[in-house]
Amino acid sequence: MIQLPSNRSTSGVMAQVLLALVPGMLVATWVFGPGVLLNVLMASLTAWGSEALCLRLRKRPVIVRLTDHSALLTGWLLALSLPPASPWWLISLAVATAIVLGKHLYGGLGQNPLNPAMLAYCLVLISAPVSMTTLWIDPLATPGITSAWMAFLGTAPDAATGATALSLYRNDFTALTAIEIASHPLFREASLGLIAGVEWVALAYLVGGLWLLFRGVMTWHAPVGLLLGLFVVAAFFAIDPDSGTPVWVHMTAGATVFAAFFIVTDPVSGATSPRGRLLFGVGVALLTYLIRTFGHYPDAIAFAVLLMNFAAPMIDHYTRPRIVGRDAAIKGSGGTS
Amino acid sequence: MSECQLRQSTHPLVGGIHPETHKTESLKQQCMMLPTPPELIFPLHFSGGGPGHALVSVGDRVQQGTPIIQTESGIVHAASRAGVVTAISEHPLAHPSQGPSVCLFIRTDSAGPSLTLPLRSSWTAEALRQRAMEAGILGLGGAGFPSHQKWGDTLHTLLINGAECEPYLTADDTLMQQDADAVIQGAVALAENLNLTRIVIGIEDNKPDALEQLKKAIAESSSSYLFEVVVVPTKYPSGGERQLIWLTLGLEIGSGRRPVDHGIVVHNPGTLAALAHSIDGNPLIERVVTVTGDAVPAPQNVIVPIGTPIRHILNHAGVDSYGDLQLTVGGPLMGFTVHATEAPVVKTTNCLLLRAPTQQPIEPCIRCGLCAEACPVQLQPQRLFQMVSHGALAAAGHEGLADCIECAACNAVCPSHIPLASWFQHGRYSLQEEAQQTAIADQARQRFEARQARLTRLAQEQEARRKARRTQNSDMLAKVRAARGAKSE
Repeated sequence: MIQLPSNRSTSGVMAQVLLALVPGMLVATWVFGPGVLLNVLMASLTAWGSEALCLRLRKRPVIVRLTDHSALLTGWLLALSLPPASPWWLISLAVATAIVLGKHLYGGLGQNPLNPAMLAYCLVLISAPVSMTTLWIDPLATPGITSAWMAFLGTAPDAATGATALSLYRNDFTALTAIEIASHPLFREASLGLIAGVEWVALAYLVGGLWLLFRGVMTWHAPVGLLLGLFVVAAFFAIDPDSGTPVWVHMTAGATVFAAFFIVTDPVSGATSPRGRLLFGVGVALLTYLIRTFGHYPDAIAFAVLLMNFAAPMIDHYTRPRIVGRDAAIKGSGGTS
Repeated sequence: MSECQLRQSTHPLVGGIHPETHKTESLKQQCMMLPTPPELIFPLHFSGGGPGHALVSVGDRVQQGTPIIQTESGIVHAASRAGVVTAISEHPLAHPSQGPSVCLFIRTDSAGPSLTLPLRSSWTAEALRQRAMEAGILGLGGAGFPSHQKWGDTLHTLLINGAECEPYLTADDTLMQQDADAVIQGAVALAENLNLTRIVIGIEDNKPDALEQLKKAIAESSSSYLFEVVVVPTKYPSGGERQLIWLTLGLEIGSGRRPVDHGIVVHNPGTLAALAHSIDGNPLIERVVTVTGDAVPAPQNVIVPIGTPIRHILNHAGVDSYGDLQLTVGGPLMGFTVHATEAPVVKTTNCLLLRAPTQQPIEPCIRCGLCAEACPVQLQPQRLFQMVSHGALAAAGHEGLADCIECAACNAVCPSHIPLASWFQHGRYSLQEEAQQTAIADQARQRFEARQARLTRLAQEQEARRKARRTQNSDMLAKVRAARGAKSE
């Protein structure tokens, strides 16, 4: 019987989140090829390296903090968010940015106002937009180890990569009808009737996330806020199937499920009261829909999360529960000392 | 014959935790009377009831029951065994402040009969308050508040707190099993004399034996009271005063108010048993103490004479050496660490917990919110911690710091092992101190302003008198002149 890590320590909490990522990681490897694992490996090494360097420079105990797994988690989250055919330097740059700029410049574990992984994701998305949008693998042409290795070194063969469902809707489908779109191989070949390959990855993340809920590592509020919020708003605007991205694409494609359980649930940069977490999730959903629909980038979760990170303290401020024995919840702030 | 109405609590506790209870260990052995120790020690100022002074001098002989300490609140502490007063000097205490304080030492011997309080044929509320003071009765649940001070004239409900929700503790459980009759008698005496209409017992569902004994005692009692026995689910901190009132009566005590403001008096069963014994003439000189923990070879409950050095009790339970073991007085959540094993047991000492140190390294807060889920008052400990640890006390006060009941459920769930409850206690003391300083400054200012006003008023009055005199004089002068003028003409 394997002893599972417990919620009684920070490292235990982090280790459980890492474990919950494994199913998604394996399915992603099956769908997108061994490049995913190469990314995870590169991200882990960079995360450990930059974390150790920062701790040393800040004169903090290196081993204690390294073994709390928080840096590794940031690395994995980035490795799984970035395109599977990313070159090694893109991964390293992103992870180092997350750890150094996103975390340690603010004071290390627990002090960062923004989600480090999403901060770094936005940075590389803005700095290397071509890589970030074209290095996605076509799930119907999973590359072998050789082409994955070549992509890792930065020489991705064009044939293996393709656009994601969200970017197809954004750039290529604007003039097509729903029936014409459905004949695209990405949707025609989908065994669950959603998006080929991607649907299985989303399902695997869902399984990992539900396990975390079951273990009490996180509460349901933020995931439900994001998933339900996005569903409602996407369903509302997708009445006409020929215009706009359908609901199921919003729910399956991109980082939706992954973000619902592994990104908006980050306690450090999110809201903490139960109602606040729900609102935080809904806010991310609304912003995601807005940016996906009207913005320049096909996916938007990272931007939405960063924007909501800024709002988290205010959300917490206005969603305090009623203290037992009081007539109403506290409003406003008290002293300024 | 009293009636007993048994029901399950229908008002769930907000928040709360389910720690490992560790209660069976100390319940395996029969609860026995501890052999009299060679020396008894009584702190003058920390025996309960506020600062006190000795009623006996060095060299005096005392009987069991002789009053030896008179405290500010009127509570009198009696010698728990006969002997000779050998010294009044400083000695380490089992107290959160850890400092030594003046104590009275008695070398015990077996001589002489014990001194009892006079018996009465009839009782009144006032007589009962007087008796509680003479018998040295205070809250045995842990806070040690003088019982008679709670007994106002506007009460209507007595709630007996038999929850004992903290892990390891079984002293109340043991007392309810062994002395249920006294608990019920004490409750009836209090209810009759204070004209209470309701007696409610709250007990956690992990104490079936105690519940059985209580039911038996109620059935055998001759009073006409209906006892409502409410069984509450085992969950910490169901035994918090406010929490138990919610669980049993479905009533929320307002923030900043006390149960007595709502007409409810809450007592530990041990306190009521002590009241019953005091009515029979016996002052409070003993209590049940749980001796337990992984490092105790024979965990058990013992009846301990007040003033017994902790070391003596631990020896009795088979502890020979301490090494780097950690001694906690009280439970693992609300208790405090004590380093001096020569410190004596006082009336609020309910448990001696000896374990290997459990201190884990404190890590940064990751705002996971587990503490907020556990908080039975629905505070946001992660926010409060940030405020208190950064000295933003006024903001913490606004955030509800004063509503914290210091149950330490937040400590127990914190994955970063932050001693949140200690921070909040520290914050509350600092706030109180600040308020006191402000009060002193206000008083000084008011005095100064009053003096200024008085001086101004005096000066004005003087001026007015002078003016009056002047006009009077000039009037008189004018009259005299007029008279003179008339004469000369």
